Amino acid sequence: MTSLKRTQPTGSDSTNLSSKVYVRTTRAGKVQKIVREVYLRQDIPCSSALCSECSKISTTYARGRAQPPVLAAKPLTSETFSTGHYLVPDTNAVLTGMDLFELESAFKDVIILQTVLEEVKNRSLPLYHRLVALTKNEDKRCYVFFNEFRMETYVVRQTGESINDRNDRAVRRAVQWYKEHLELSVKKKACPAIVMISNDNDCRKKAIAEGLVGLSLSKYVSGLEDADTLLDMVNEGREREDAKTTQENFYPEYYSLSKMTTGVKAGTMHQGTFGVSPFNYLEGTVRVPAFERPLIILGRENSNRAVSGDVAVVEVLPKEQWKTPSSKIVEEETLTKNDNPEAEDGETVISNKERKALQEDVKKAHGTTTEGKPQPTARIVGIIKRNWRQYVGHVDKDSVRTSDKLSRAAQTVFVIPMDKRIPKIRVRTRQAGELLGKRVLITIDSWDRDSRYPVGHFVRSLGELESKGAETEALLLEYDVQYRPFAKSVLDCLPEEGHDWKVPADTSDPGWRDRRDLRDLLVCSIDPPGCVDIDDALHATQLPNGNFAVGVHIADVSNFVKPDTAMDREASMRGTTVYLVDKRIDMLPMLLGTDLCSLKPFVERYAFSVLWELTPEADIVSVDFNKSVIRSRYAFSYEQAQLRIDDASQTDDLTQGMRILLQLSRTLRAKRMAAGALNLASPEVRIETESETSDPIDVKTKQALATNSLVEEFMLLANISVARRVQTAFPQTALLRRHAAPPAANFATLTHQLRVKRGLTLDVSSSKALADSLDTCVSSDSPFFNTLIRILATRCMTAAEYFAAGTLAPAQYRHYGLASEIYTHFTSPIRRYADLAVHRQLAAAIDYAPLAPSLQSRSRLEGVCRNINVRHRNAQFAGRASVEYYVGQALKGRDLIEEGHVMRVFENGVVVFVPRFGIEGLIRLRDMGTPEPVGEFDGEEYVLNVTGSREVRLELFDEVKVRITDEVEESTGKRKVKLGLA
Amino acid sequence: MAPNATTQILLSPAELSYLHASLSLSPPIRPDGRSPTQFRPLIAESDILPSPNGSARVCFADGTEAIVGVKAEVHKSDAPVIGLLDPTEAGDDDEEIDEKPTGKGMGEDQWVDMGIEVPGQRDDDPLPLFLAAMLTEALLASGELKDRLWINRRFHWKLYIDVLLLSQPLSYPLPLLSLTTHLALLDAKLPKLVSEGDEDPLFDDDWEASGYLYPLDSTGKRLDNPTITLLVISVGANIIFDPSKEELAVADAVLAVSIGVPTGSKGLQILSMRTIDPPSKLTQPGVPTALNSAAGATNVSEEEIIAARETSTDQGVWNPPRGGLSRKLIPQIMKAVLGPNGVAKEVIDGLNAVTS
Repeated sequence: MTSLKRTQPTGSDSTNLSSKVYVRTTRAGKVQKIVREVYLRQDIPCSSALCSECSKISTTYARGRAQPPVLAAKPLTSETFSTGHYLVPDTNAVLTGMDLFELESAFKDVIILQTVLEEVKNRSLPLYHRLVALTKNEDKRCYVFFNEFRMETYVVRQTGESINDRNDRAVRRAVQWYKEHLELSVKKKACPAIVMISNDNDCRKKAIAEGLVGLSLSKYVSGLEDADTLLDMVNEGREREDAKTTQENFYPEYYSLSKMTTGVKAGTMHQGTFGVSPFNYLEGTVRVPAFERPLIILGRENSNRAVSGDVAVVEVLPKEQWKTPSSKIVEEETLTKNDNPEAEDGETVISNKERKALQEDVKKAHGTTTEGKPQPTARIVGIIKRNWRQYVGHVDKDSVRTSDKLSRAAQTVFVIPMDKRIPKIRVRTRQAGELLGKRVLITIDSWDRDSRYPVGHFVRSLGELESKGAETEALLLEYDVQYRPFAKSVLDCLPEEGHDWKVPADTSDPGWRDRRDLRDLLVCSIDPPGCVDIDDALHATQLPNGNFAVGVHIADVSNFVKPDTAMDREASMRGTTVYLVDKRIDMLPMLLGTDLCSLKPFVERYAFSVLWELTPEADIVSVDFNKSVIRSRYAFSYEQAQLRIDDASQTDDLTQGMRILLQLSRTLRAKRMAAGALNLASPEVRIETESETSDPIDVKTKQALATNSLVEEFMLLANISVARRVQTAFPQTALLRRHAAPPAANFATLTHQLRVKRGLTLDVSSSKALADSLDTCVSSDSPFFNTLIRILATRCMTAAEYFAAGTLAPAQYRHYGLASEIYTHFTSPIRRYADLAVHRQLAAAIDYAPLAPSLQSRSRLEGVCRNINVRHRNAQFAGRASVEYYVGQALKGRDLIEEGHVMRVFENGVVVFVPRFGIEGLIRLRDMGTPEPVGEFDGEEYVLNVTGSREVRLELFDEVKVRITDEVEESTGKRKVKLGLA
Repeated sequence: MAPNATTQILLSPAELSYLHASLSLSPPIRPDGRSPTQFRPLIAESDILPSPNGSARVCFADGTEAIVGVKAEVHKSDAPVIGLLDPTEAGDDDEEIDEKPTGKGMGEDQWVDMGIEVPGQRDDDPLPLFLAAMLTEALLASGELKDRLWINRRFHWKLYIDVLLLSQPLSYPLPLLSLTTHLALLDAKLPKLVSEGDEDPLFDDDWEASGYLYPLDSTGKRLDNPTITLLVISVGANIIFDPSKEELAVADAVLAVSIGVPTGSKGLQILSMRTIDPPSKLTQPGVPTALNSAAGATNVSEEEIIAARETSTDQGVWNPPRGGLSRKLIPQIMKAVLGPNGVAKEVIDGLNAVTS
């Protein structure tokens, strides 16, 4: 009888078929034994420029060009490796030294083995993405060698061998193969060394026994130039693993993953994202699907090593531990100033000062107001996903032992992150002296039970504190804005003609296919002054029947950015253009954004046009969507347009058209308001900068002109019309934007405050009711009061978001703020990816072009939505932070008295909003006088009675005179406006 | 039930009579020359299929062949226990003497599901159903297998044993299927559990870390074995193991003997003994010459023939047995099976040798 059994290959060349076996537990709880067949081959190139053999088998591009070898013929040399060397890191080396591998100056010619790549993917997804990005960087010369598929380098797991040992063996096998393989083509003496980098002693020993070169990461780094700086970049947490002795643990242990999933499924535990209160670093919240209001996490022990942004599992605490959200400002730096970063022993999780701060909170637990009612608290029992990123901060100068710049002794210092919600991070460095007073980028490596603070390592220095370059870069890093120049692969997607590209004169050109020639229309654009990326243009004419023909023309970006190209992927990742005060980080390369797509005046441009017939009452008679070619007659700024319309002497057709537009926009706006659209306010200021240096010279609040609203109304109309069309065509995959109605609970505090302080009621039952009751919130003595309430109401809202139509019921499509049943973004494809996607969907809906597969799959669209929602929010934050920074710079050295309004009352301070500069700031009791006056806080009435060195009664919504100076905030190193009572 | 389809007996009454006579001798003379307890040579291998948890294949010398795959799935136990997930109870207190539940006595019969496929038969035909029921009954008889499928109070493994008979059932296939199943179960592994207590089960994703359903001791020997079912026939005063097709055709009684190998030193143990309708019952009886009209007898009525056959003791004329087992044969069978060099030990040792 012949055996049916499939034999495992025993020698390296016996067979080209092998298999991998593993166990997979599916989400539904099914446990499967998975067998994967592995087909081994011999045509995977080594990709070294030295190798003559592999050039024959290297893969070719579509046009028949052979892929050039990645690894250089003359790799970097050093003292030890005079013939140069190729690096082969193992998994651990990549995990601990990712920042090193990303260095520009060293770590070139790196062979990333498939074994390593897969292991990194299993261990840390963010690091995996960075590693993949690294392999795409042509300067780094990183080559992914698929050793698991090459017959010679495939190793079969032996019986009793652990997976790790097997993978280590696979790495050594690959190193050996490279060595032998290269020696076939190159003389032994000239052959570059193949250096395995591994932190595993055992593995290195075995490698050396096999005649290979194996170095630990730190050993290799210490052979490089500038080794001290580089050594700081080695991940701390993982290196220290073995050094750990049994120490007292400060934090409770996490539950096992299975215990947590069981608990979450059974409803006894809850999963949510952990966030820290910006006013009290000891108080966090976790919003969980099971409850309407977030659960409160109090103190370090309960937050159990969670960092703001982590996805955590919580357990609700017994009722006697419930308490009110804190009404006190607690800042980390004031309480933990004297911690010693070096000393590990004698540390307690909660210092006495912190404990006292908590006790005072608990006293407040028995209140009667909605705000004062004890609320459920919870403790964190485990982390599902760490969302640690790189943090920008500065070295706490009190934690530095010797600031001698020449001292190379390693010492542990605290880095205080710019984001107040992130705890201090303990970093070991040899260059403490140099880093003082610099913005530095660091990452968190680990947070063990026996360490009060997380441990991290230094990545790089951004530059001096308060220097414009460093601060801007810090901002971009902090909000995860992709600001690197576009990669070559992206720029390759641009039209070859560059700036000379023109709309083809010949209308039989394929570019003209199905395009309407609208060059005769009197189109113009209205934008902020100095705008170069003109997304939209408008026109209007009266029809013989008394109706109006109105058109909105949007830059046809989808004509240049084809789906699933490198440029599309990059734009999708960036999500949006980010506007800072002095800088713009584009979503698309300049050539497109500011030239080829931009609807500049006097040149022909491709456009995507929405053409309506509107009645004089602005009701839509018909709507038509067309790809078109237009020629803008003029690019106005808002002010210019306003002047032109107001100038009665102008009677040309263009001006008449604009007057029609203005008239119609007023009707549209009135209709929208009647339907319950909200007129919300957020403080917006404009920074006047000196044109040469772009140093800020003044701050002005933005002015709204009628022409702003003109453009806005027609953009809304276009967006709504397009949303309807796209949704009809693609009920499952239309990309829409919604704004969920905020739950009434969000307004509870504001409603109560208004009732207590002003006897006003806020009806939040619908957007219409809210809009109406907001209109009644006026105060005779303060004209700004209404705006203040609108600002506060805006903060109670949920954020608008993009979504795929199929994921929600049509009733949930509603845009609450705009009071529209359906909405999307269509009008700014140059600066928002969502609009670009909607352009493609609309083009498919009107049968102009087939829909790309990526826009047909709901799951992929959901991924796109998730990303652009995050990017959109981050862009807003970055923009605001940039304004905040520049306001601080503009007010540098000034001392002003301004009018302010109390927005929030705490037990030991108040938050005041200054409309003149659109800033809000904290005035603490200790800022009001020395010695610190005594505050008597009435949480019911929102009053803080200050007595002692300063006597004043501070009430919510009151107008106060504030004194504005500036100071460098110690905790964040930011120059900030400092407010005090005048 | 008579497995009629398997026993198309194509022997004449005279041949049957001859066979019966030679098998009744002491010692019996078997057509293939074997001793009464000797098994036909067989070929067996385990772990032949990559995907199931365990698999095996056995070929008998007469050309019959079977493949068995064992698959295990995690299932939720029927009665969810309330209050189990109370976090205060879930084991924060390490001091508490933790009586780790082992699942002893927790197993349920429906956790093992066996399906048998016989060529040419529908899956609801009596033969496969009957065979499956008999094998399952034997496997569950000791209770150890089903208890082993207990994961925690909320989850258990469900074992699917898929038996595929590759050849036509030339002889009664029960021993073949039992041996193959036995081998597949020996080969079966379950992923290693990493979760604790009554949590949703979570398993080590390394298949190498999984453990045998029938675990090995430190020296690599099996602690215990699955139940095995053997076929024994009696002919006259003799008992004969592993009957061939012809031998079955003349058996006085057919017995399926299930032998359990419990954990510990208790040794082998007979779990059940089940009589099976002997196929010989359906054979055509021989007619004595005296009554045979073809041989010149006249005026003999049907009733007379039957009456004569009832009382006939003529050894030369084939008379289908009417079933029933002599009481004194039972101890003989037990001795032959369980004795120091008994059949059961030989078979089990042989099968263990295949998997190790």
